Formats: sequence, structure tokens, C-alpha cells
Amino acid sequence: MVIELTAEQRAFRESCGKLAAVLAAQWNRGRGPHDIAPPVPDKASWSRVVDTGWLAIGLREENGGAGAGVVDLTVLAEQLGHHTVAAPVLGIILAAEQLQAWGAPSGLLQDIAEGGIRLAPALDANLRGLACAAVGALAWDAAGAEAAVIPASGVAHSLGDPLPFADPTRAVRPLGAPSAGIPAFAPTAPDGDAAARLDAFALSLLTADLLGTMQAALDAAIEHARTRAQFGAPIGSFQAVQQLLADSHVLVEAGRSASYYSAWAVDALPGREALRAARVAKAFVSRSAVEVCESAIQVFGGIGMTWEAPAHIWLRRAHAGRLVLGDEHHHQSFIADDDFSRS
Amino acid sequence: MDFADDPAEAEFRAGLRAWLRDHLAEHRDGTGYESAAAVERTLRWHRALAAAGYAGLSLPAAYGGRGLPDAYEAILNEELAAAGAPPSPPIGHIAHAVADFAGEELKARVLPGLLDCTEVWCQGFSEPGAGSDLAGLSTTATFDDGRFVVNGQKIWTSGAMWSGWCLLLARTEPDRPRHRGLSMLVVDMRSPGVDRREIVLASGSREFAEVFFDGVTVPAANLIGERGQGWQIAMHMLSYERGPADMGWVGRLGRVLATACDDVRSGRVAADAGLRRRLAEATVEVQVMQWHVARSLANRTTDTTGSAGSVDKLLATRVEQNLYRVVSDLAGPSFVLGAPGPFSDYLWSRAQSIYGGTQQIQRQIVAQRVLGLPLA
Repeated sequence: MVIELTAEQRAFRESCGKLAAVLAAQWNRGRGPHDIAPPVPDKASWSRVVDTGWLAIGLREENGGAGAGVVDLTVLAEQLGHHTVAAPVLGIILAAEQLQAWGAPSGLLQDIAEGGIRLAPALDANLRGLACAAVGALAWDAAGAEAAVIPASGVAHSLGDPLPFADPTRAVRPLGAPSAGIPAFAPTAPDGDAAARLDAFALSLLTADLLGTMQAALDAAIEHARTRAQFGAPIGSFQAVQQLLADSHVLVEAGRSASYYSAWAVDALPGREALRAARVAKAFVSRSAVEVCESAIQVFGGIGMTWEAPAHIWLRRAHAGRLVLGDEHHHQSFIADDDFSRS
Repeated sequence: MDFADDPAEAEFRAGLRAWLRDHLAEHRDGTGYESAAAVERTLRWHRALAAAGYAGLSLPAAYGGRGLPDAYEAILNEELAAAGAPPSPPIGHIAHAVADFAGEELKARVLPGLLDCTEVWCQGFSEPGAGSDLAGLSTTATFDDGRFVVNGQKIWTSGAMWSGWCLLLARTEPDRPRHRGLSMLVVDMRSPGVDRREIVLASGSREFAEVFFDGVTVPAANLIGERGQGWQIAMHMLSYERGPADMGWVGRLGRVLATACDDVRSGRVAADAGLRRRLAEATVEVQVMQWHVARSLANRTTDTTGSAGSVDKLLATRVEQNLYRVVSDLAGPSFVLGAPGPFSDYLWSRAQSIYGGTQQIQRQIVAQRVLGLPLA
């Protein structure tokens, strides 16, 4: 039993954090919803993302990837969440993993890994799962994407304009007609184990992204509580505020344990067990992330309700991430079926 | 990252499973503290586990422990829960206080009996005037003529009625600042001047007692660490008492959850959609707590804040109280009508946020020592 990141993973976390901070600083959310920049990085920033290899690390080597483990990928995902990065990194990683699982041609995967083509994952209309058909499907984290591929058909679809979405750091776009630019391929459906593993992979990345966001919200709330003075004392010296932040810390730490287990399980356990773990972790972190981000806003007080303060971005990302690939109610219904439904 | 057993852990787990398969039936009547017979069954279970080598896992082998990493405590708890066995003996916190601070002679004298569970120990901390404000305690141990003389009263002393030994926190240096004036002593409960009075809890549990010390003499050799070091030792000890695995919480909650799921699956208990949803939520929480405890134990030696126990206790209490609310609601009218079991269990779950440091005190510890928030 070794339940911590390796030295290499900690170094990777640091380098991911640095680039994520650069990307975050480059995005301008403006003075309000009326002049917010779309979540697409400029050319130079995107080149850095591609050159750093973020898009390629998870893919198998024959597909132009680095064959990194899911724990490594969640280290990256957590940093994306921590800095609420408004660049479609996670979307591309998910789309690529999904295509790889469905036997997409190596050339297409290499193109994605090298940044030559930007794809987004297609979710079903209620955002709960990866889409099986194009009708009603929505591409998620799709800013700047050329298309979204429905793996079951092997057909790439063009994307419409972004829909209104609570989380401005990620774009949701409807699928349109088949895209001429990307040739269709003949998919091979993953077997049951591989399909469950793919779902567990996607959930684990979302969970890590949420974990990063809740950690960032808590860190900022603590910092604010240390410095903001009322009644002649930092508000962080008041027990009511301390209790709120302590409860948030417990949720973050428990969420971290869940995220670690979920990520580890994808590579270590059979698909069915990994999916079960990923559902538990996503359910727990979905609920906790919203709670922690709400508490952070409470600690910020009025400033937390302004567009200028980042607190609402964390809460927006937490709510959107909670619903994407299924919220706690969705996953708990599967757990109920598994654990105590009468067969 | 590897939540799985290494070969040695796997071998330990397999051996434990086999032992439970062969011996659990002898303890099918369960354990508890509601009657003398229940206490006797509890002690018999503890001794059986210890005799088989499953107590004091992370304590030094030289004194009767197994000298294993903390992760083995997690394995023990998981397997006890999976087998539906009673919890492990709650001795880790006391054993660590003795093992980590006492001198060689004292360790050799008292640890083997503690770890093989032939000697039962209690912990004399709380007083009528010193609950959350533990450092304000007033029981004195006056050093006189090469021995300590103890006078005062302790309360909420778990297991005091049947304990042979007490780990006592008392004031030895009345002139020093209050946190620095305390010392930790090993007191023989059979000494003249020790008087105990049972406390019956609202749930019917008879685990607790008041203990009165009237001129009780304690040899100087029974001092743990140095005079004035008592607070430091007590905090070290509480970080273990607050760790769920040390107290067998994880196993117990796993068992309660498994029983509830079983009852619903079999149809013995009817659950509508709302209750099913809440039971699933409790399932998620218990599972996450198990992972968290595994992580916490696997990293305990590298944890430097010493406050991880408070995080774990806050989590476990939240999970436990939510679970018992669901279990109570699943019981329907039998929660209040008929045999008092479900209501007693629920009442006991309410104690979790009080003993070992209240939920509010734990949050203050986390806020100030982990998050670095300023003192008022």
C-alpha cells in the first residue's frame, strides 16, 4: 500500500501548475458576461500546451502518445481545475481516449496528440454520459474544436455555435452535419471491460478537475480569511469562519482520497470495479465541490458575489463539472442498483 | 499510487481471513458494554484476537506488538468489517503513548499485558471541570518522598469499571503555565484510594465511569516521559484516538452499512425511492471514508502536522451520523417501538461528535493547526 504521488508525479504536478497558471492568466473574463473572452487560448499559448505534450501523454505510444498512467493524467486534470484553465485540454484528452478505445486509426490519434486537429467529446443531451449517437448530442469543452466524433459510428460531426453554459471556462456546442474534413473510420466497439474502463477514465479526470477547483476555492478563502479584518481582527480568527473552513478542508481531503483511488483503479482493477470506484468518487466530489465553493463565497462575503472576484468561476466550474458525466444522484442510482436492489 | 496489498500485506490478509473463518463463530454473540456478560464477551474477543497476533499490529515487536506499518491496521479493520466481526480492541492510542514516550523499564513492564489484552487499560483525562478545556484539569499528582500522591476526580473514563490500569493525566507542576504543568502517569487501579462509579449512558451502555483518587500513591517509575510532558503525550495520544482505524470505527460502520443494504435487498426492510437514495449516499460516504483512512494510515509516519486524526474524526463522525439517520429511518416504527436496539445505536452515534474532543473542538484544531488561521 503506497497512497501518495511519486516524486516524478509531484514534479509533474509542479510543471503542470506553472503552465496552467500561465494559461489562466492569459484568459480574460472581462468586466462581466457581456465582454468575456471565449475559452480559447491564443496561438502561442496553445503551442505551449501542444509542445508540453499534455494532449499526448495518455495515448498509447503507437498512437503518438506517451502511455502515461491515469494517476498522471489526474495530476494534470487537478491543475487544470485548480487554475480553472479556460482551454479545452481535458476535452481533447477525453475525446482522444474514447477514439483510441473504439479503434480509431493511429493517424487520426497522432494528429490529435500533435495538435494538428482539435476534437471534443460528444455527450448525450443531458450531459450524463458519452454520446452513442449524434442526434441531440452536445460537444463539451469544445472551444476551438473542429468536430466531435461519435465513436459508435466513426463519423465526425461539425459543431455549432456555443450554447449558453454556466461555466465560461468550457464551451458546449451542438453537433451538426458530418464533417467533410475528417474521414469516417470503421469503429471496433470496446468489450465490456474496456467500455467500463473508458467510463471510469472519463469520470476520474472530471473528479480530479473538480478536486482542483475545490482546493483552489478553499485556499483562496483561507487566504482571504487571514487578511480581511472586521471588528479589529482577521475574520479567520472567528470561530464561525474557522468551523466553515475546517469542514471544507475535510471535504477536500476526503475528496482527494477518493480521487486518488478512482484514478489508481482505472489502471489497476478490472473495468467493472474501476467504474464502481469512479462513480463513488464522482458522486462524492460532485457534491463536495459545490459545498466547498459555496462556503468559499460565504467567506468572501459581498466581494464573492461580484464578477470581478474569481469565486463565482469556481462555483460555476464546480456545478458544471458536477453535472457533466453525471451528478451524485445519477451515480448513486447505479450504486443503489448494484448494492441493494432486489434481483 | 498503489491501494493494493504488497505481497506481505496480501499474506497477512489471507492469514487473517482464514483465522476469522475458523474462529469467528466462537464469538457470534457479539460484543458490547451494556451488561457484565457483554463486557466479558468483549474482553474474550479482544484476547482471542491478541492471542492470534492481531492486536497491537503497529506497536514494537519487542513489547508484544507486531512491528508492522500502520497500513496493516487498515487491513485488520477492512477484514473485520468484511467478515462481520466485532471491532478490534481500542488500545492503539494508549499503547502508542506508552511505546513512544515511556522508558525501557516501564515499557517492558506494562506493554505486553496491554497488547495481549490480558490487562485492561483506561484513560483518565476528562474531569467534571475539564472537558473540551482539557488543560484546565485539576487532579493533582504531588511528588513526595520518591512517589506521586494523586488526588482528584476523572469522568467519562471508558472501561474504568473493569480496568486494571489507568493512563492518568494529572497536574504535577502547579506553578508552571497550565499546559506545561501536566504529567502522564501509569496508575494501578487496584491501589488503595481508587474508587469508581459507573455511568449509565442514555443508550444503556455501561462503558463509562467516574473515577475518584483519594491519596493514591504511584511509584516514580510509573511516570511516562518527563514531568511536565503530559500535554504533549496527551496530544500525541489523541491524534491516535481520533484516527478512525485505531478505534475500530471503519469496521463498525462498514458492518452497519452492509446490514442495512442486506435488509433492503432481501426485502426485510422496505425502502422507498427517497430512502434508497439516502442509503446510496451513505454508501458513497462510507466507501470514501474507507479510502481516506487507508490513505491516512499509509502516510501516518510522514504526517508532520499531528492533526490528521482530527480531519479523520471529523469525516468519520459526519459519515457515521448520516448513516445512522438513514438506518433509523429504514427501521420505520421499530425505531421507537419494540426492542430498543435501533434507538440505542442511534443515540450512541450522537456521542461520536462529543467524545475524544467535540466536533467543534476538532474543527478549531484543523482551522488553527492545519489551515493556519489566526487565534482569536
